[in-house]
Amino acid sequence: MKDNNNRLPLVSLNDVWKIYRMGEVDVPALRGATVDIYKGEFVAIIGQSGSGKSTMMNMVGCLDMPSRGTVMLKSHDISKLSESDLSTLRGKAVGFIFQQYNLIQNMTAFENVMLPLEFLEIDEHEAQAKARKVLESVGLHDKMYHLPSQLSGGQQQRVSIARSLVTDPEIILADEPTGALDSVTGREVLSTLQTLWKKEGKTIIMVTHDLNLARYAQKHVELKDGKVVDIRENNNIIYSDKR
Amino acid sequence: MRLNKIIRHALNMVLHAKLRSWLTILGIVIGVGAVISIVSLGETMQKQISSQLGDLGGDLLTLRAGASRASFFGPGREGGGGGASAVSTEDEIVLDKTDLQVLKSVSGIKSIDTQISGQADIYYVAEKGSASVVGVEEATWATVTTSKIAEGRMLGPADTNVIVVGGRIADGFFSRQVGLNQLITIEDRLFRIVGILDDTSSSIYMPIDSAYAILEDKDKDEFDTIIIQVKDEDAINSTMASIEYKLAQKRHVLGKKYDFTLTSNKAVQAQRSEMMGSMTTFLTAIAAVALLVGAVGIANTMFTSVLEKTKEIGIMKAIGARNSDILKIFLIHAALIGLIGGILGLALGYILSGILPSLMSSSGGGPFSRFGSGDAIISLNSVVLAIGISVIIGIVAGTIPAVQASKLKPVDALRYE
Ligand SMILES: Nc1ncnc2c1ncn2[C@@H]1O[C@H](COP(=O)(O)OP(=O)(O)OP(=O)(O)O)[C@@H](O)[C@H]1O
Ligand SMILES: [Mg+2]
Repeated sequence: MKDNNNRLPLVSLNDVWKIYRMGEVDVPALRGATVDIYKGEFVAIIGQSGSGKSTMMNMVGCLDMPSRGTVMLKSHDISKLSESDLSTLRGKAVGFIFQQYNLIQNMTAFENVMLPLEFLEIDEHEAQAKARKVLESVGLHDKMYHLPSQLSGGQQQRVSIARSLVTDPEIILADEPTGALDSVTGREVLSTLQTLWKKEGKTIIMVTHDLNLARYAQKHVELKDGKVVDIRENNNIIYSDKR
Repeated sequence: MRLNKIIRHALNMVLHAKLRSWLTILGIVIGVGAVISIVSLGETMQKQISSQLGDLGGDLLTLRAGASRASFFGPGREGGGGGASAVSTEDEIVLDKTDLQVLKSVSGIKSIDTQISGQADIYYVAEKGSASVVGVEEATWATVTTSKIAEGRMLGPADTNVIVVGGRIADGFFSRQVGLNQLITIEDRLFRIVGILDDTSSSIYMPIDSAYAILEDKDKDEFDTIIIQVKDEDAINSTMASIEYKLAQKRHVLGKKYDFTLTSNKAVQAQRSEMMGSMTTFLTAIAAVALLVGAVGIANTMFTSVLEKTKEIGIMKAIGARNSDILKIFLIHAALIGLIGGILGLALGYILSGILPSLMSSSGGGPFSRFGSGDAIISLNSVVLAIGISVIIGIVAGTIPAVQASKLKPVDALRYE
């Protein structure tokens, strides 16, 4: 489809190992995973439970460090960055969407969405305007000042999508974004992600074990026992709108 | 993250854990309140003592009949204590004219004021009361006394049938105010007020000859107290020594236990100050322990809070928080608890230091009895100190939990339930 040969990958994992120590035994979660993800791709990471999908995702998002091998994000080797550079990179380049939404319970939707901008020390007026705009874009203009506990699961996930978008990151990382939602709401979330990919050129990496949902993505990366066993283009993408 | 945002998040954390926050704050409030009220009480007492004995009183000696009684709060102020004369033994020990002669022979003495005192009934218009009457040597009293005049004048040479009254006699003793030149009946004699003292005592000062007439149990030419003013304050110790020596010689108690007591205001003052000082230090130490317990409370609350917020810390890190942002939020959280505790503790301390002196004075006796309520001293120093210290306590107690929070690994924190 696209020729990636003479472009630098946005995310690049090279022979990445992640070994967790559980008391006396070592549990390898990743065993030499290698994959490149380019700007503008919509990638679904698939595989069985325990195959290392979340582990890989966390490393792409600089939340965790590889035990061995290199993880490059925007041409930075994440193992070589200082803690505060990592935070800034995370804050600017990456937006997270979690299965459990992970909103801060005692903050309103608006405050939750403001938070990433506050860490980046964006000017207050500008930040408020951005937060409002992005909340409107996910259809929550009338729920801005609600606490998470006053919102439905789908609405909470939309707040968390808004929060991941507000810093205008290049990469959106979504770990089982529909895991806690019913299938209709789940498909809505997928169509939102697809729109972001198609209309705004975002790079989207989504973890899912649901092959039906994976069909919304452009590329599939399959993990098995901590190794990448297959990388393939999805030749029959489901488009949420037929335009 | 900008400081104002950090403070807002920290404040949010305090407000969202209402009960726990308030209980922790209460610990600091009690500690700071205790420290403030005790320090203020100490300062108030020190100030009262030095104003009582004054800068003026340093050159004064007080002579009494009877062996010295070990007492910190005892004599030291002319005419105080209302008629506590010599302790009678089988052979009554008194101060009389011969002692006065001895004193007059000592060099280094500037003036001498002989005094007697006792209770007497006083009448004004249709009211009756009982007050302490002090007979003083009218010619020298004015120079020797540490009392200050508020209205009118001191007693002077050749005064008869006139009195100088304490501030309370003029205002508060009778239902009406008693002013200058008013007439008061004491026992069966009429006296005119020529001066009102700038104090809150209910003592009445009159020429000693008039006092002999009123206080019938006092014998002429015998004295309860002799106040001696020395010429040279710096040589007070040697003057004291020569007075003691000559008196002992005359009274035939040389080499035995003296049957008189000579005290210097300065020594009494120093003794009392020292006493007050060590008492204040002791109480402050106790209060400091309360403050320490408060600090442990903050640390405890902070650890709980970090544990409770682990997931939130993970979320914040995932969306771009730096370690230093998390550290600051938790440190300021702890500092805020300290700050609120410090401010409320200050208020509590202020209230307590208004109440404490009057509680102590109602238990009677001692220098406390002179403290009115409401004249507590809370210096700007102690305000700044209390708030500063409680903020610092908060920060110190919060440091380890805050560092622990900031060091949490994002994945581990996110995984925490
Ligand atoms: N913090 C940890 N400590 C120890 N072992 C871990 C830790 N995190 C993951 N593992 C192990 O690593 C392996 C991969 O876990 P991971 O969470 O990446 O799987 P997954 O593909 O996301 O699975 P699922 O679809 O169930 O979410 C598992 O065997 C898991 O037990
Ligand atoms: Mg997973």
